[in-house]
Amino acid sequence: MTAPLARTAKPARRSLLNWLLGVGVIGWAASVLYPVLRYLRPLSEAGAGGPLKLSAEELATLGKSHFVIARSGTRKVIVFEAAGELRALDAKCTHEGCTVQFVPGDSLLWCACHNGKFDLDGRVLSGPPPRPLVKWIASREGNDVVLTMEKA
Amino acid sequence: MIEAQPEAPASFGERLYRWLDARFGVGKLVEFARHKEVPVGGHSMVWYYLGGTTLFFFTVQLVSGVLLLMYYQPGEATSYESIRYVTAKVPFGWLIRSIHCWSAHLMILSLVVHMFSTMILKAYRKPRELTWLTGFLLFAIALGFGFSGYLLPWNELSFFATAVGTDSVKSVPVIGQWLLEVMRGGPDVTINTLYRFFALHIVILPLLIVGILSGHLIFIQVQGMAHGMAHQRPDRPGLRFFPDFLLRDLLLWLMCLIVLAVLVYLLPYGPGIPGMEWELGKKANPLAPAYPGIKPEWYFLWVYQLLKEFPPHLLGMEGPQAALLVVTVLMGIWALVPWLDRRASRGQPSPMFTDLAIAAIIFMSYLTLKAWDIGGHGVPGKLPDPRSTAWACAWITLGLASVIAVLRLLAYRQRWMYFSGAALLQVVLNGILGMDYLIAGGIALVVAIGGLVVSRREPAPQMGVPR
Repeated sequence: MTAPLARTAKPARRSLLNWLLGVGVIGWAASVLYPVLRYLRPLSEAGAGGPLKLSAEELATLGKSHFVIARSGTRKVIVFEAAGELRALDAKCTHEGCTVQFVPGDSLLWCACHNGKFDLDGRVLSGPPPRPLVKWIASREGNDVVLTMEKA
Repeated sequence: MIEAQPEAPASFGERLYRWLDARFGVGKLVEFARHKEVPVGGHSMVWYYLGGTTLFFFTVQLVSGVLLLMYYQPGEATSYESIRYVTAKVPFGWLIRSIHCWSAHLMILSLVVHMFSTMILKAYRKPRELTWLTGFLLFAIALGFGFSGYLLPWNELSFFATAVGTDSVKSVPVIGQWLLEVMRGGPDVTINTLYRFFALHIVILPLLIVGILSGHLIFIQVQGMAHGMAHQRPDRPGLRFFPDFLLRDLLLWLMCLIVLAVLVYLLPYGPGIPGMEWELGKKANPLAPAYPGIKPEWYFLWVYQLLKEFPPHLLGMEGPQAALLVVTVLMGIWALVPWLDRRASRGQPSPMFTDLAIAAIIFMSYLTLKAWDIGGHGVPGKLPDPRSTAWACAWITLGLASVIAVLRLLAYRQRWMYFSGAALLQVVLNGILGMDYLIAGGIALVVAIGGLVVSRREPAPQMGVPR
């Protein structure tokens, strides 16, 4: 009698085949998707946060408009002069990443996007920013201004 | 002998029709079209035209977009310059760009009104849940179009709008940072971001929208347009779609085109309202600070304002993360309305969801007005004062809400107003009494939930009772 045997054996074979097919489809989808996902993520840029010397042009802007924004690798730094003292902070607002500006009249840093305000040391005074701005050390070396990130 | 009468020779059109019918069975489609009707009665016919006007403006977007593509060159040294060239040098270039911008805003406006009318009239109820869901997706894609197209001129305004808009995705749990870098093509907004947005704007989103729009339209053809709820009279003959409704549609589209042309001619750079202007301005400079008065497009203003209202930290989350969680939850509720509104799906009146739509209008109006700094410009040259802004905006919202409430009471006999009342309570507590926005929101939420619990105990209103 082969008929009952075939009837019991068939579903097992079919479910095994279905399982193999499923695994195959998932494996295939993953092998297509993985390279695409890796391709989409850009390579990270090197050289962030090293000491930075302001160019002559940036120094001129600093003298003219009381502050200048410079780039160090992937970071943006705002350099400003308050009460004769040269200071530097991360220029990227910790709220939603807009670029802040120095308001000499009120002695504070202000982000125009959502009205975040920071004091001259980068601490949050008011508004929605969740964290202070990272401090940099701005020092004059001769006629140059050199910026280094403050160790946390 | 009877001679066969020579038949009149068939016209070219007739022969073409027979040729097609023999091969594709076009006759069935024609038969379907002949019986297609638009329901009459129950509520104003106006609401049946808004999907069509949205589609009309979308078509204008396709045509004007392709025309802009003939000159636009994405790139650090070319994006801004090519748009400037189009508007300043190319004959009628200003016209094409202005049409593209105006029509984008009008399309979203038409879409938003379409969505709210569908919500208030409960046209999403069974069996049209998927029509609502695809409509919601189309709405999301339309916002994606607006957001990605905004960056392409590579000017100052677009640069910071994109910086803020993309920065918010970092709040997504687990994959936030990955998503941020994939969207931007790096950790910051650079020209790589523009390349990605360009691909999104002209290839990925159009493909998506064509697919989903087809679904949306097929569902409407298969199921027909929804009848009004309260005065459903299936026996009453509807308005024939071909040609009666279609001709009205065409007339309306012609009127839309005229309005578009007048607006484009009179105000080629937009009405000058923040969030509705497209003067090219200065070229994007990643090293310039964000300038005062920077705002996103008007339909994102309520989210922008919400980001301002949230404190730096809330319940162990950073402010923006909490704000976006709130937006996500609200959007999720909105998308799932056909499944949440079980009364409407049984064909019973569900005043609660009418009121939910009104509450949404109050909630978003207040935030949008605040984002425009209305009433905050007391001292010239000074930053707008948030306190006096809130005061003025609260009174405007209160006026608007009162008009809506009176209209609902008198014209429609609607009584269920717990949600809209709660939304208005938040406006009053925050704007007029000066309470913190979130605390006021918390109180309003408690009131809304209280109203929900109380009304659950009441028996469900029966059909025929005014909503």
